[in-house]
Formats: sequence, structure tokens, C-alpha cells
Amino acid sequence: MDRRPRRRTCRSLTMSGTLTQTIEDVSLDVPWNVVVHDDPVNLMTYVTLVLMKIFGYPESRAAAMMMEVHKRGRAIVWTGEREKAEFYTQQLQAHQLKTSMEKTE
Amino acid sequence: MKVAPTLKGGLRIDIETPLDWMVLRCISYDARGGGIDLADRVSAPMAGDEAAGDWQEYVLPELRESFTAQLDAIEAAIAHAGDGEEPGEVFITREDSDLWYGGLNQARLALEERYGFSSATLEEMTPGERSAWFRSQFYLHVQSVLLDHVLK
Repeated sequence: MDRRPRRRTCRSLTMSGTLTQTIEDVSLDVPWNVVVHDDPVNLMTYVTLVLMKIFGYPESRAAAMMMEVHKRGRAIVWTGEREKAEFYTQQLQAHQLKTSMEKTE
Repeated sequence: MKVAPTLKGGLRIDIETPLDWMVLRCISYDARGGGIDLADRVSAPMAGDEAAGDWQEYVLPELRESFTAQLDAIEAAIAHAGDGEEPGEVFITREDSDLWYGGLNQARLALEERYGFSSATLEEMTPGERSAWFRSQFYLHVQSVLLDHVLK
């Protein structure tokens, strides 16, 4: 079962008197960044390997992103639609990388 | 203790002394003992996001479950390897390498949070801190072997 967060609330009046309402998130066109943050424990080789595994990046690109995390404290590793950003963020966190997502400016 | 890759693409840990058994058992002890919520930690940068509430409710329990499962599997593998007195062997298959790497990472993370090794020198450490530092280095070594010979 897909249990990723959904930005949706349902409300409607049923026979039993329950009120439900639907609120859809319409800001689907705004791209989202997936951001990996530096930490003192994860090995540089491991971070590179995880980026290659999750995004299918070639080693050179993944290593460059890893170096950016290491030197700047954070790096945008992917940009795209929100649902996929949530999925990738969850995947990276499952690999114990400090990760967040943010709207592109 | 010896740690070496196997011909089948996994890793073998030879446990030779009671001290080796103790060090291996410390993996889950260290990881669980710090009172650190790793799921909270890896998702901490999301705290300001508008979806943080949903993340807490739906994603974090799943992450916690997978992190706990890693430690459970490591404990089971060590228990299966022997009684803690006689020499034994722990085999880490290629399929299990991710969970071992993750469990070792949890142990290192917990020790780092508790003792802050990166800002201390060996001379300044108490005997307890030094012992934890050596365990952390051992976990790091096993992780490095896993990375070089199994995960890549």
C-alpha cells in the first residue's frame, strides 16, 4: 500500500450525517527539490552509492553531488513533481541520509 | 576477529574470543542504547515544511520499523552463530548487506551523538569513551569492507 503523504482532505454529507469535504492541492506545476544534508557519520562512498542506486546517476555525477553535500552542507539531488520528490525523499531517508524537500524558487 | 569477503560475494566474520562476541553484541546495544530516534533525525530538515505533519504520521513509523528490523536481523544472525563462548562465524550475504550496513550506521550514529568523537582526541577521552571510540572504528571498518567488496 502506498502510504506516502497526500495533501487532500475529504468532506461530504452522508446518509448518517457525517460531513466530509474535499480539498485538492492544485500547486502541482511547481517543481520540488530533493535536498540531501551533510552529517558526520555517513561515508562519502556510501552517499555516492545511494545516489547512484536511487536515481540511476553515473558515478561521476553522484560523486559531484556528494562533494557538494560535503563542502556546502547540502545539495539539491533531484528536481521534479511533488509526488516523486516525496518518494525519493523517503527512499533517501530509508538509507539514513538526512533529506528534505522544498519548492523551487 | 577477522572480517573478509567470501567467494559468494558476501562477508564472513570469524569470531575468535569472548571479547569478539561482546563487540558484535554491542552493535545493537549501542544502536538502541542512545535513545536516539534515527527516523526523526534523518527527517529533521523537513521540520519547517508544510507536509511535516503528514510525514510524521505516515512516513516516520515506516522508517522506524525498517531501522528496528535491521537491528533485529543482526541480533538474530549473531545469536544463530553461536553461544558466545566458543569461536564462531557470522556470514553476511549480499542480500543482507544493506541491513548490516544500516545497523552499523545506526550504532555509529548513536555513539557519535552520545560522545561527540569528532570534537575530541583519544588522550582526552575517559576509558568508557575510548572503548566506545574503538567500537565505532570497528563498525566503520566493517562498513568499509561491506562497501568495497559487497555493496558496490
